Amino acid sequence: MTNQANETKVKRESKNKIRVEFDRTPLLERLKGRYLSTFFLGKIVWYIFRLALLIGVCYVILFPFYSKISSSFMSAEDFVDVTVRLVPKYPTLDTYEAIITENGYLEALLNTFILSVTCALIQTFVCSFVGYGFAKFKFKFNKLLFMLVVFTMIVPHSTLQLSMFMEFRYFDILGIMNLLGGGVIDTIRLIDGTSVNLINTYWPLWILSVTALAFKNGLYIFMLRQFFSGIPDELEESAAVDGAGVFRTFITIVLPNAIPMMITVFMFAFSWQWTDNFYTDLFYTTSGPVLMPDIVSVPLSLATSSAASNMVTTAVYNTCGILILAPLLVMYVFLQKYIIQGIERSGITG
Amino acid sequence: MALFRKSAKQLGIVKERKKGASLQARKARSGWLFVLPFLLGFVLVYLPIIIGSLKYCFHEIDILTGGGYELVWVGLDNFFKAFEDATFVETLMTGLSGLIIDIPTILLFSLFIAILLNQKMIGRAAFRAIFFIPVLLTTGLIASIDASNSLGDYMDSAGESIDTGTGGSAAQEIVSATDLQSLFSNMVVGGELATYVTQVVNNIFDIVNRSGVQMLIFLAGLQGISPSIYESCQMEGASPWETFWKITLPMISPMILVNAIYTVIDSFTSESNKVMSYVNEVYNRAGDGNVLSSAMSWMYFLLVIVVVLVVVGIISRFVFYQKKD
Repeated sequence: MTNQANETKVKRESKNKIRVEFDRTPLLERLKGRYLSTFFLGKIVWYIFRLALLIGVCYVILFPFYSKISSSFMSAEDFVDVTVRLVPKYPTLDTYEAIITENGYLEALLNTFILSVTCALIQTFVCSFVGYGFAKFKFKFNKLLFMLVVFTMIVPHSTLQLSMFMEFRYFDILGIMNLLGGGVIDTIRLIDGTSVNLINTYWPLWILSVTALAFKNGLYIFMLRQFFSGIPDELEESAAVDGAGVFRTFITIVLPNAIPMMITVFMFAFSWQWTDNFYTDLFYTTSGPVLMPDIVSVPLSLATSSAASNMVTTAVYNTCGILILAPLLVMYVFLQKYIIQGIERSGITG
Repeated sequence: MALFRKSAKQLGIVKERKKGASLQARKARSGWLFVLPFLLGFVLVYLPIIIGSLKYCFHEIDILTGGGYELVWVGLDNFFKAFEDATFVETLMTGLSGLIIDIPTILLFSLFIAILLNQKMIGRAAFRAIFFIPVLLTTGLIASIDASNSLGDYMDSAGESIDTGTGGSAAQEIVSATDLQSLFSNMVVGGELATYVTQVVNNIFDIVNRSGVQMLIFLAGLQGISPSIYESCQMEGASPWETFWKITLPMISPMILVNAIYTVIDSFTSESNKVMSYVNEVYNRAGDGNVLSSAMSWMYFLLVIVVVLVVVGIISRFVFYQKKD
């Protein structure tokens, strides 16, 4: 006690404030204690290791994009030149020009944009609707119905491709089309016999979206269900006490809270629809609307039979890939922070 | 008076109970309303598709000239044909054995990366943004372009090829199996481990590509662990290593189950899967290809179910659920 009193000086500054002054250990000693400990060294090693690993994986992710982009600017001479590897010697925009003008890129862009935006919007809203139903309401068969959602996730698409094609080629739910005749069918166009042909229209994907059966919708429902079950019940209860109905509560209270999560789902739905080639190959023949998969081919003006034709083909395909991805990348740059937010708020458990 | 009060009370109780029941019923009804889109779609669109697909397995299709089609019953013929197809059985087997390597690798990798991305550090947002690029962008069309590229490179590998850096082509240069084998032989571990490690390293692009969603789910799970648990651990003097095994792993174990199932399903259903692409090839084959592919993919689906059940059976023994009170 007395020892301590010798080292420290207690000064009373005012009535309620005191200041303690004590002899500090010299700066060098303090730094030594801090930076020469095994704890600190371990931290440094871990920090470097972590950084190296993350940068390495980032390299693995980004390098293909870089090599694709650089090869897309290469001209025919560059492919023959052995010394050219990653930086083109004679950069040219011919590949882009040929693809945009000859492969109908702009038309594909417009069509795919319309299709993807509508599908992604519908899927986002329907899945949040359904996910909310699963998360917040206790009703008979809730668990069973959710198992069905998981079931739709498990069944591979290829198992269903034939009957999916048949379903929409000869589209007729419970014979309704047979009964309705005229009016409705005119808007859907192409009738044959007693059923409607929906192939080469946007309807198959729209119908799948509205019913939450499209690509990976089970995953979206799962994600949104987890998110909504994390929202406290009190929020809805207070809305209900204030006299809001279930739907009004959902739209005005719950949905605004779910916006980051919904943007995440929208991003997934949009970009997976954008780059999708399973459904587009299945539902759209060559006579249908021009979509992204249709532009992946070598334009006539670029077709060569030289020694490097393999590389040219690869480069042209990659350029097509870049052109397809460009709009997505722009969107990702703007929306990625919502994805991170969506993850941070989702708090998925069990 | 007393009698009146009692009856009023009874009345009140009756009224209250009735009201409560009706509220519950109303909530249940709106619950049904919310899941209605899915339910309708499932009954009206999905079930016919599923049943149709099952039906096609046992039939042959004749497209009629006047529109419409006719089914001819052939029994189990399609299944026998699928079994006689040597390529199908072979791809099925290699696909299955590939999965046994893939599941643990993808799970470990995505958990590890999720833990890294969950730590506070400089540039975390940038790293996260980059790590989610593959899952969003390298799917479907782009994946198939990449696949055709690596095929082209493979055919072109005798000459000098440009480094597209996709799939196998760039990866071949990362580690060679023989180098690692000699390294491992000095360390007296089995050759299997060496080949496993080289496979993992060489497929790193593929693995990064396929662990995006898993990473997301793990990250969300890690965010869901209450910081107060970690705080109390620190107060008790647990090292980070102990904290990981005693806290993080048990708390994240339900996510491991979810991710394992997702990984199995995803690698079974993805387009890059060899079996799937073979089934697709059969589907586009002239003649009875489409019904045959239906039969094949149903057999494949049954296999998926078996694998999922096995995985669930193994992992759910170790899953820890935090009791909520």
